[in-house]
Order: sequence, then C-alpha cells, then structure tokens
Amino acid sequence: RIQPVRAAPDKISEKVVESIKQAQETCADDPTSGECVAAWDEVEELSAAASHAKQKEKDSDPLETYCKDNPETRECKTFDE
Amino acid sequence: MAACTVYSTQSLSTNCSISTPSKTQLSFHQKQVVFYTTSRRNSKRGSNSGRSYVITCAASDQQTVVIGLAADSGCGKSTFMRRLTSVFGGAAEPPKGGNPDSNTLISDTTTVICLDDYHSLDRTGRKEKGVTALDPRANDFDLMYEQVKAIKDGIAVQKPIYNHVTGLLDPPELIKPPKILVIEGLHPMFDSRVRDLLDFSIYLDISNEVKFAWKIQRDMAERGHSLESIKASIEARKPDFEAYIDPQKQYADAVIEVLPTQLIPDDNEGKILRVRLIQKEGVNFFSPVYLFDEGSTISWIPCGRKLTCSYPGIKFSYGPDTYYGNEVSVVEMDGQFDRLDELIYVESHLSNLSTKFYGEVTQQMLKHADFPGSNNGTGLFQTIVGLKIRDLYEQIVATRAETAVAAKA
Repeated sequence: RIQPVRAAPDKISEKVVESIKQAQETCADDPTSGECVAAWDEVEELSAAASHAKQKEKDSDPLETYCKDNPETRECKTFDE
Repeated sequence: MAACTVYSTQSLSTNCSISTPSKTQLSFHQKQVVFYTTSRRNSKRGSNSGRSYVITCAASDQQTVVIGLAADSGCGKSTFMRRLTSVFGGAAEPPKGGNPDSNTLISDTTTVICLDDYHSLDRTGRKEKGVTALDPRANDFDLMYEQVKAIKDGIAVQKPIYNHVTGLLDPPELIKPPKILVIEGLHPMFDSRVRDLLDFSIYLDISNEVKFAWKIQRDMAERGHSLESIKASIEARKPDFEAYIDPQKQYADAVIEVLPTQLIPDDNEGKILRVRLIQKEGVNFFSPVYLFDEGSTISWIPCGRKLTCSYPGIKFSYGPDTYYGNEVSVVEMDGQFDRLDELIYVESHLSNLSTKFYGEVTQQMLKHADFPGSNNGTGLFQTIVGLKIRDLYEQIVATRAETAVAAKA
C-alpha cells in the first residue's frame, strides 16, 4: 500500500506564483469575464492553502515532533505520578 | 443495544442521566439506575422484574448537534475553530492515517468538516465554466444536505475530500457521527434544507477594509504577490461574495462583525479593531450576553485604575438593535488589551457568559494567547460564542433526554 504524502509547502508557493501569472494573463483581455474571476479565485484558494501550510510548519516544535516518534528517549520521557 | 458511556467528567456529562424511576415496584432494590434515551429502545438487564435495571442510553443516534460557521476564506475560520474545540477540551486533529490533505478536524466531542469538500466542480472544472468556488453552481447542495442529515441522524457517511493543494476531488473519507458537528465554509446557510438542520449558526463578517489589511498581512510575504494582485483577487471575487455569501448573515444566530476602529480617526491599518457580537433574540437555548444591565444601552470605558490601557484605549458598548428585521442584542469592543490577564476585570462585568466557573473566559483566552486576535474583541467574542455553544449543546441533550422519558411514560 502506498502511503499518501502531503504536498510540500514550497510546492504550493510555486503554484501561487504560477496562478498569479496566469490570472494576470487571463484578465488582460477581459477583466470581467468568468475565466478571469475564476483565475483570481484560484489565486485566493492557493494563497489560503499556502498560508495554512506555513502556519502548520511554524507551529510545530522540533522537540515535540521528535518526541512523537521517540517517546522512550531521555529527553522525551514524562511521568504522571 | 444502544452503546453507552457514562462520563464522570463534569463537562458534557448530560447525555446520560441517572435517576430513580417513579413508577416501578421498589420491592427488592431501592437502587435503580435509569438511563434515558432518544431511541425509545430499552435493553433490560436482570432476570426478574423486581430488580430490573432499565438501561436506556443516550445512544449515538439523533444526538448530534449541528453548528454552522460561515465566513470567507482567509477570515479566521480556523482560529475560531481552534478556540471552539478548545472550549470542549482536547485538541482537534486531522483523521489519523487518512488523506494528509483532509480538511476534517476531529476531537473527542467535535468533528469539523469543511464545506469545500462538497464542491461539485474541481479547480479545472470551475475554470472551464468560468465560475468561482463562491458560486452555488460549483457546489453540490443535495449531497451536502443528505450527508449532514445522515450524520445528524446518527449514520456515518463517506464524504468526499476537496484537496486544496491539487484542486482535485480526492477519494472519500469516513465521517462518524460526533456529539457536535461543525460545518464550516462559504455556504453553510445558503441552502434552506441544510439551514434547517443547523441547531446554531454563526457568520464571521469581516469588513472590506479589514479583509484587505488581513490579506496583505497573509500574502505579502508570499512570492509572486503584490499589492495589486491582492487587490485584484479581492475585487474579482467581490460580486460573487456579495451575491451568494454575504446574504447568509441574515440567517445567523450570532454574527461577529469586524470593523476598523473608531478610536483613531481615519485609521485604515487594520491593526486596532472594533468588533461587534450581534446576537439574535428568542433563539432556543441561547440567551445573549449583556453588559451591566440587560436591555439598556450602555457605553463603557474600562480604562482607569483597574485596567491598564495605552493609546487608543478600550471602549465597550452594549444595547438592543434590529438586524435584518430581527431583534438583536449587540455587544461591542473597540481597542485592544495590553495585558491579557486584566481581561478578568472586563469578564466580571459581562453577564450570561455561560461559564462553568468565574474567570473561564480569561482562562480560555490566556490558554491561546498566541492565536491571532487574542488581544482584541475577535478573540474575546469567539471565546464567548464557544461557551454559548457548549451551553446550547448541554441544554439540547438534556431536553432530548427529557422528551424521551416523557414519551415512554
């Protein structure tokens, strides 16, 4: 079974750049067309996804991430007594 | 048989009630335990009738309380969700072992599903048709209704996943009926059938000025974005937003309105905010929060000896109003706190907060001091709404248990 993998955040960043370029091109001819509006909507969707991914990365604590995988190590052991 | 769990914790313990019945023979045992249910199915334990333990439990069926949260993308839905799930205790996490790009969040009591998962057109499809995600034509309201209804009735569903990274509709994931289901997204109150399923609804109303300031904060660091691209994106989505998203606020039981401050003349930085909590009157199980005296119109500046405020200070207002023809109560906070622990001073003057102990609002705010909005009205009112939803949930469950008992008697 293939494990699903989350898309890397920098890849989303690249997509944002690409989508902005595309939106600017699409809107050059007709700034009120459905295609133009849909293109900018895509920019918004990708920007939101990029910011969520970035936030998730920022929130993660290196020690906590390590301890999730290695709870038995000395730096991770906690006792409830 | 109904699956039953008896909770010893004080919170959310109301889905099973224990009491001595009035109409049974008390020949053998005085002690009898009765659990009430909505499912009208008793499972009798014990062999002779004299000491029959009637165990009927708050089963998972017909127990789910459904909450709707509407807001535009990038308007702090996820922060609100984190505050809400925190009130119920336990962290909300994506489903384990599933699609890593799943939008669902699950905690012990609450499941949050993102309505983007009900897109009928994927990203390419929308581009071909020239419609935005805000357009009803890009969304499958029939499926949304069917699945939300099924979950409310206690039936697990296979819900599609809209992948925000790839823009494709991924294979579905299993959603089991939780105690509280939150549906968040652009259209929770758009379709009247879905709207009727909601036990409570919230709309996050971010004014254009603030939305612009927030998106600059969010996107300016991002490569490719410029002031022009942010402006263009907001402008392009505006007609659809005004046609399909904004009108939903008339149906909301609570609206959190975020506006630029009035304490600084001509401020458009969007850093200091005026936040209004608009609460509908006469909603079942929901009694609005008030300041000092219910029904009066009050303006209050708490700054002074007991609360440290630097420029521009803090100003509260409260009063009755009408909103889309409905009678509402509005609590407003303009400005921001310098020291979060002094929020207790404000909390002690607000009534009907549905807290379980004195200082719970302040405690919740301190717990998440790093979340956006923790020093202004957005965090305060989101936390209050979270407490109101907990109260609403507990009342609904208690009432259902009572009606089930009445039906049996």
